[in-house]
Amino acid sequence: MKKSNIEEINRNIYDIKNKDEYDFKIKKGLTAEIINEISNQKNDPDWMREFRLKALDVYNQLELPSWGPDISELNMNEIATYVRPKSKLNSSWEDVPEDIKNTFDKLGIPEAEKTSLAGVGAQYDSEVVYHSMKEDLIKQGVIYTDMETAVREYPDLVKEHFMKCVPVYDHKFVALHGAVWSGGSFVYVPKNVKVDIPLQSYFRLNSPESGQFEHTLIIVDEGASLHFIEGCSAPKYNKVNLHAGCVELYVKDNAYLRYSTIENWSKNMLNLNTKKAIVGKNAGMDWVSGSFGSKISMLYPMSILNGEGAKTEYTGISFAGKGQNLDNGFKVVHNAKNTSSVVNAKSISKNGGVCTYRSLVRINENAKNSKCTVSCESLMLDDISRSDTIPTNEIKTDEVEFSHEAKIGKISDKTIFYLMSRGISEEDAKAMIVRGFAYPISKELPVEYAVEMNNLINLELEGAIG
Amino acid sequence: MENLKLNETPIRTARNFNINNIKLENIELPEVIQDFKNLKITGNDLKIDINSRKSNCNLSYGLGDILTNQINEKSNCNLKIMVDKKENKETLIEFNFDEKNEGLIDNVEITANEESSATIIIKYNSKSIQKCYHNGIIKTIAHKNSNIKIILVNLLSTISNNFISIENQLEESSKVNYTIVDFGGKNSITNYYSNLVGDYSENIVDTVYLGKENQLFDLNYITELKGKNANVNMEIQGALKDNAIKHFKGTIDFKKGSKKSKGNENEFCFLLSDKAKSLGLPMLLCSEEDVEGNHASSARKNWRKRIILYYE
Amino acid sequence: MSDKLLEINNLYVNAEEKEILKGINLSINKGEIHVIMGPNGSGKTTTANAILNNPMYKKTSGSISFENEDITNLKTDEIARKGVFMSFQLPEEIPGVSVVNFLKYAKNKITGQPVKIFEFKDELKKCMEELNINPEYMERSLNVGFSGGEKKKNEILQMLMLNPKLTILDETDSGLDVDAIKTVSKGIEMFKNKENAVLIITHNTKILHSLKVDYVHVLVNGKIVKTGGQDLAREIENEGYEKYKVEE
Repeated sequence: MKKSNIEEINRNIYDIKNKDEYDFKIKKGLTAEIINEISNQKNDPDWMREFRLKALDVYNQLELPSWGPDISELNMNEIATYVRPKSKLNSSWEDVPEDIKNTFDKLGIPEAEKTSLAGVGAQYDSEVVYHSMKEDLIKQGVIYTDMETAVREYPDLVKEHFMKCVPVYDHKFVALHGAVWSGGSFVYVPKNVKVDIPLQSYFRLNSPESGQFEHTLIIVDEGASLHFIEGCSAPKYNKVNLHAGCVELYVKDNAYLRYSTIENWSKNMLNLNTKKAIVGKNAGMDWVSGSFGSKISMLYPMSILNGEGAKTEYTGISFAGKGQNLDNGFKVVHNAKNTSSVVNAKSISKNGGVCTYRSLVRINENAKNSKCTVSCESLMLDDISRSDTIPTNEIKTDEVEFSHEAKIGKISDKTIFYLMSRGISEEDAKAMIVRGFAYPISKELPVEYAVEMNNLINLELEGAIG
Repeated sequence: MENLKLNETPIRTARNFNINNIKLENIELPEVIQDFKNLKITGNDLKIDINSRKSNCNLSYGLGDILTNQINEKSNCNLKIMVDKKENKETLIEFNFDEKNEGLIDNVEITANEESSATIIIKYNSKSIQKCYHNGIIKTIAHKNSNIKIILVNLLSTISNNFISIENQLEESSKVNYTIVDFGGKNSITNYYSNLVGDYSENIVDTVYLGKENQLFDLNYITELKGKNANVNMEIQGALKDNAIKHFKGTIDFKKGSKKSKGNENEFCFLLSDKAKSLGLPMLLCSEEDVEGNHASSARKNWRKRIILYYE
Repeated sequence: MSDKLLEINNLYVNAEEKEILKGINLSINKGEIHVIMGPNGSGKTTTANAILNNPMYKKTSGSISFENEDITNLKTDEIARKGVFMSFQLPEEIPGVSVVNFLKYAKNKITGQPVKIFEFKDELKKCMEELNINPEYMERSLNVGFSGGEKKKNEILQMLMLNPKLTILDETDSGLDVDAIKTVSKGIEMFKNKENAVLIITHNTKILHSLKVDYVHVLVNGKIVKTGGQDLAREIENEGYEKYKVEE
């Protein structure tokens, strides 16, 4: 049995390059003139144009981070921040231009929409080319649309929330995002509406030497619930691409949101993404995150537990291979009584890849009777790779249960021998152990994505071990 | 009066986590200090050379240039300790601060020759109302098969400044075992660095701290495993009441070549007040495959009854 | 058709540079149950690991053949696929891999045939019931959080499901209570037929009370010093190994 057949196809899917065809591509660089031009192209309302220019100022004032992976190769003068595809926003796949539709077909998006999703958004370069949601959700008042439409049609909701959870001052790449953002999804789930089937937005960057800066804004109103899935990929080019998206999540009192991500950017991508959630009273916010792609990733989703009894869970895995430096983790702030957080982070390093788990747990004075449990496990598959755990824990109240555990190690020879004694080859044994290691994360994903993740693991392991 | 930025971690994390270093404002660094006379050594079996002025220390880490230079230029008590036998009595070295001895800038060098072993207790004492200044280095070189136990006791007043840089070099099959009792100082800032170059070398650190009033503890413990089958074990426990603050930065760094090495780090902090604060950064850095690293840290409530007993 | 399954010929094995086996000879035919007994450190576990060619044990001379084919230097998984199974003294834990998925995968590798999932699950459930294992365990991670006895029973379960030609039970009875030993014996009886063979490695004789064996070999200091029938086990039970240590 030749298992590599399926994987060959998979590899091709992610790597399919369409011709760099576009309706409009802004010139490279980052100046007020360019920002104004983006605003013109996007027909921004005035407040948004001003917002962008202000964000550019902040960008110019802020310094690059003094920590983490070296991102000095990023030269904004070499990045086109806005690429409008040759497609309008459509609500039927039939209307999406063929080469773009083919790409999403191969990524399995229309198929998944039919079988397991309540709504789909698909972004190609800087704009959303497809958006659709099931009729019954529309009737219940659920809004799921691209961000541009939301700015036009729901200005009050957007103004109240847009970059309020993640202010442009947070760090340099948030400011950049504020200046050049384009595309992304807006979701509003009204009070007490339970969306049982997930919504999914997929982000595809095709254009070389460009960036993707989608903005995702989700408001789950009181007592409502939602599962949102985000997927991303890009074909590989020789020069760096940049992804600096921003995800803002508002989980109101008694609401629940699960946010799942399968990230498989190409290995020339700098993924400098920002995700944050504000969680209300007795509300729940769960993050599930699989990070496989990118050359460099700096991604630390954050939950701010502002309401009494708020809960959050982070379940994440990073898999770094040759040439990859994945600096990922989680941040949580306990800001009210009886809040709780659970972190389960795993990483796998092989073939010279670098994985870092970087985190912050902050339990404030007002977070009496809170609980936090953190567990980190790192697997080293060879001795040329690297794995670091850099967790910061700040505790400011006496009424707290906090525990943090981290482990680093390799696959034991005894375990491999045990599996081999059951007729399983060394290579398959290692893959089985790694899949088992990743299982706590893959089990949190919808089944198709769990399969995709296992395929990614097999793909990444192929030839690397054995 | 100086503003000091001290005790940098080996790897930086986000600046707004406020743990990459410690900033102290308006610290009085004594300019000229009298020789420190009130030194008492008991049970000495070892060869100890005592002199003042001019020391020459090279530190891999240390707390920072200003403090390291102060020791090189202005030390007022230097000890060179040679351990060359297997059997030695326990040696107690006491630095007793008083009105005539308010500042100590010391450099203690311990050399443990092959196959030697010793237990050395180093104690810093002061009266509770006395404001003292202490800036010191304890540097240990443990040669093959040596076994050194050091018990470091800081009982300075809670209005003093206490700066200590510790460095250990561990050769093949050597053991260095540190017990640190850290009670004193308005600011008690410790840099601890162990370089485990030898195969089968072993370094154990047990620290207990008790913070009260406005005390600040900044502990930056760095261990680098380079030899094969090396072993590090850190246990850091303490309690904080009143407005006391503790920063613990613990690094276990498995360097290339440290195959089959093990590193464990355990931190446990009892918070006894809402104004006390515990900041922890237990780092595991790893560039070698066949190693085992673990760390655990925790903070719990409701330890009052047991812990309160330890305070006067 | 030869009845010969396993043949060990003058085998010398080192573990961590130390010579453990010093010239072992052993021949096992279809339909037989053999027992290797010996004090701690005599080389029992080394023998089991050497048959499956565990890379942590180095063969310095001698050979092993299985069904008249030399397997001395085959990889462990190849030996397993030829029909050799070992029940481990300390089975490994595999987080995230369920008992059922693991066994299905292994069965597929060993038989080279696709495994029919419903039939397979039914058979698994039946075996689990026979061995007093809660069928819910099939969805649990392999050996994770299992007690010592549960791990051993799970080894027997794997033996029944994978149906090898030769099964080696390495100290499967040690540390088990009377009921668990009975369950293990029952498993062996369920497994045993004219076409396969069992090699029991043990340092005590408890399991032999409920199981009829054909040959007992006494292993002391890396050599088989005596071979006999069930009587020999009884003798060891009464007198220990002292006599053979003296001879050595």
